Amino acid sequence: MISNKDNNIILYGKKVTKTFGALRAVWNVDFKVKKNEIFGIIGPNGAGKTTLLSMINGTLHVTSGEIYYKDRNITNMQTHKIAELGISRTFQVVKPFPGMTLLENVSIGALFGKDKITNVREAQDKTRHILSRLNLIKKENVPVENLNVSERKRLELARALAMDPEMMLLDEVMAGSSTSDLEMIMGLIEELNNEGKTILLIEHVMKAIMSISHRIMVLHHGEKIAEDKPENISKNEKVISAYLGSRYAKMSWGNA
Amino acid sequence: MLLQAIVNGILFGAVYGTIGIGFSLVWGVMNIINLAHGSFIMIGAYLSYTFYISYGIDPFLSIPIVMFILFIIGYSIQRFLLNLVVRGSIFITLTFTFGLQILIANVCLLLWKADFRSINLPYSSVSLSLGGAVIPLVRFGIFIVAVILTLLFYVFMKRTKVGLAISATAQNYEGAKVVGVNVRNIYSITMGVSAALAGVSGALIIPIMSINPFIGGSLVGKAFVISVLGGLASTFGALAGGLVLALVETIGTIIIPSSFQNLLGFVVLVLVLVFMPQGLLGKRTYNE
Amino acid sequence: MNRKLITLIILLALFIIFPFILTGFWVRFITNIFLFAILASALNIISGFTGYAAFGNMVFFGVGAYTVAVLMNKLSFSFLSSFIFAGLISILLALLLGILLLRLKGHYFALGTLGAAEAIKYIIDNLTDLTGGGQGITIPSLHGSPVFINSFFYFFMFILLIIIVLFTWWLSRSRLGYALKAIRANEEAAGVMGINTTVYKIIAWTLSGLFTGLTGAVYAYWFSYIDPPTVFDVMWVVRMFVIILLGGAGTVLGPVIGAFILESLSELVWSKFLNLHLGILGTLIIITVLIIPNGIMSLTNTGKGLKGVLESIKKSRDNAL
Repeated sequence: MISNKDNNIILYGKKVTKTFGALRAVWNVDFKVKKNEIFGIIGPNGAGKTTLLSMINGTLHVTSGEIYYKDRNITNMQTHKIAELGISRTFQVVKPFPGMTLLENVSIGALFGKDKITNVREAQDKTRHILSRLNLIKKENVPVENLNVSERKRLELARALAMDPEMMLLDEVMAGSSTSDLEMIMGLIEELNNEGKTILLIEHVMKAIMSISHRIMVLHHGEKIAEDKPENISKNEKVISAYLGSRYAKMSWGNA
Repeated sequence: MLLQAIVNGILFGAVYGTIGIGFSLVWGVMNIINLAHGSFIMIGAYLSYTFYISYGIDPFLSIPIVMFILFIIGYSIQRFLLNLVVRGSIFITLTFTFGLQILIANVCLLLWKADFRSINLPYSSVSLSLGGAVIPLVRFGIFIVAVILTLLFYVFMKRTKVGLAISATAQNYEGAKVVGVNVRNIYSITMGVSAALAGVSGALIIPIMSINPFIGGSLVGKAFVISVLGGLASTFGALAGGLVLALVETIGTIIIPSSFQNLLGFVVLVLVLVFMPQGLLGKRTYNE
Repeated sequence: MNRKLITLIILLALFIIFPFILTGFWVRFITNIFLFAILASALNIISGFTGYAAFGNMVFFGVGAYTVAVLMNKLSFSFLSSFIFAGLISILLALLLGILLLRLKGHYFALGTLGAAEAIKYIIDNLTDLTGGGQGITIPSLHGSPVFINSFFYFFMFILLIIIVLFTWWLSRSRLGYALKAIRANEEAAGVMGINTTVYKIIAWTLSGLFTGLTGAVYAYWFSYIDPPTVFDVMWVVRMFVIILLGGAGTVLGPVIGAFILESLSELVWSKFLNLHLGILGTLIIITVLIIPNGIMSLTNTGKGLKGVLESIKKSRDNAL
């Protein structure tokens, strides 16, 4: 049972379920995220990770179940209201606003995120700090259509950051990144965590997510099969079975 | 009186159905609202008219020729013009097809002048009687042809290679490309089929309605209502939508004063859009 | 930047002098251009900036015109107070229609607004006692010499145009403008970033309706006679769309430039060929979409002249299959 009185928990979900007709995308998932932790979500493709994230930030409605942020019921709340609460999110398939420059794209986050800055100039100044952090400052006036893949990924991160969030939902920000980008992003995530932010991240780059997460939740076919510290996850039989098949799991468990 | 209205509605509803099928096909596959669809119907009607007046060919018999000509027209317009703008915003596609519409209307105006045209078939006064309702032979023939066409279209989409390719492209454009579908060609064929259906619809309405070069607009309006009613991915949904609209119109004639009848279509439209966006039978569009 | 400003000032000065040096025909001709420039700029707010193609926007034009007509004809209101009422009624109508229709997206919104416009047209057509129905209604005309009358409407429209252009210029740089542009670019992502899309869409739609309605109000006073088929004609909106297409959606001066081009061509070229009018307009639309789908203002980015046009054609390949 999840305790409401545990004020270390910033986000929790009770039996969160999403079905599309007969398809069970996410099924009865309970989860607890502690304040200021880095919470990783892993699982084979199609496990329901992105669907779960989308329900947390309001992009998708839950079929059943509840989600609470700081003891407030945010189930099925409108996306912009969730943004105003201090939750920001990146998309796996990057969705920049076409027809605008990099700076304009990111400053939308500053203008309409948690702080709701009303002065455009002020928002853009604040945005420039963020662009510097992500090595994008030189490209601030480039139309987003002309950015390369690495820059777009960083743009997505910058936009989410410009909203001055307390909690960030990162969906595969490291996918397809070069080694140097990877190191930069990992370093940034740790910095942001040190600054007090809670971070949920979905990743397939195992080494990365295992090394920086405080705890990891594993989804498979929409269900939670494990939630534990990284070192225990890698030895969990169910997890190994999900990724590599049950025979391999029995083999390695037998030898562990 | 009510019975007659219902009978009239069903008889004419089948034609509305074919109009809806053609229109929603393009909408569902390419996400284009083809404002020129009405003018395709109009061309079909005028061609049928000319064949009858100049060569004495009965409209029912000229249907294959009309279909063929309209297929070529639709295919060419898609291949050489519409394919160049099809992935633009709705702003672009809507305005473009509107430009096409008025261009075609102008051509028809030059060729056939602005007067209303109609034809009176020699057997137009023959009718059957069924339990108090009168069923004119012409309208019955129109109904049968429209229903046959609907069935043929259904078979085409589900059983032929081309039809399946069209469905696949509609559901997953990228996926279709990956498995080797020539999307450019499929889009052109789709528009060709749509235009052919429109042409037939025109040929079917000329025996019972008078036409002029400017009826395209109101026809598209009806096509839209029918498509929304029936949903986009369903042949029989379009037929159902056509029947519903026709019944609403014919029964409405009895119940509501004539001045409000045109309003009826729009009220139905707005109500459906707001409360029942997935239509009667179909699924919503693949991408809005 | 300075050169642009100087050109603008010179143009402004010219426009102020025109009514005093040109003949009545030309003064009315330019007034007509102003009228379309305002209508297109108004549509630009909801369609160009926000991306919602309001195919039924002429509903505000008609309602604005009829508000003035009914108030001045039946209740002997002055033009000024009728004008203000037209604005208020337009705002009310926009809020009503907005709540009903702005939840729709894309094509559904476009044709839903058209449906609503047709519905309102028929309502007005049938309120015969109030509006004169299909017979139309006359508006008491302005008294004075022809020169005075021409100049009055010229400057009225001119001022209205300046106001909306200045507003659009402010919009393009403001926080509201950013919200609208984000909604147009990707409405879902806009919501995720904290933009309350419903509120902003209603604001844009109401502003658009307000300016359109006010223009209809002036139109009624100018022409002194209106009837439902004329003021609710869908061709008003079609012209607005073509103008925005020609000039550039979401730009400040695009609708103005587009209005000049379309109305000039229409009056000076096609009026000679009445039975080709539709065909020429249709062909113009087709060519514009193929060559400069982002409007003439986009040529300022790609470069004017032949090279600019070629660049634009290359860019328009993005719309192709």
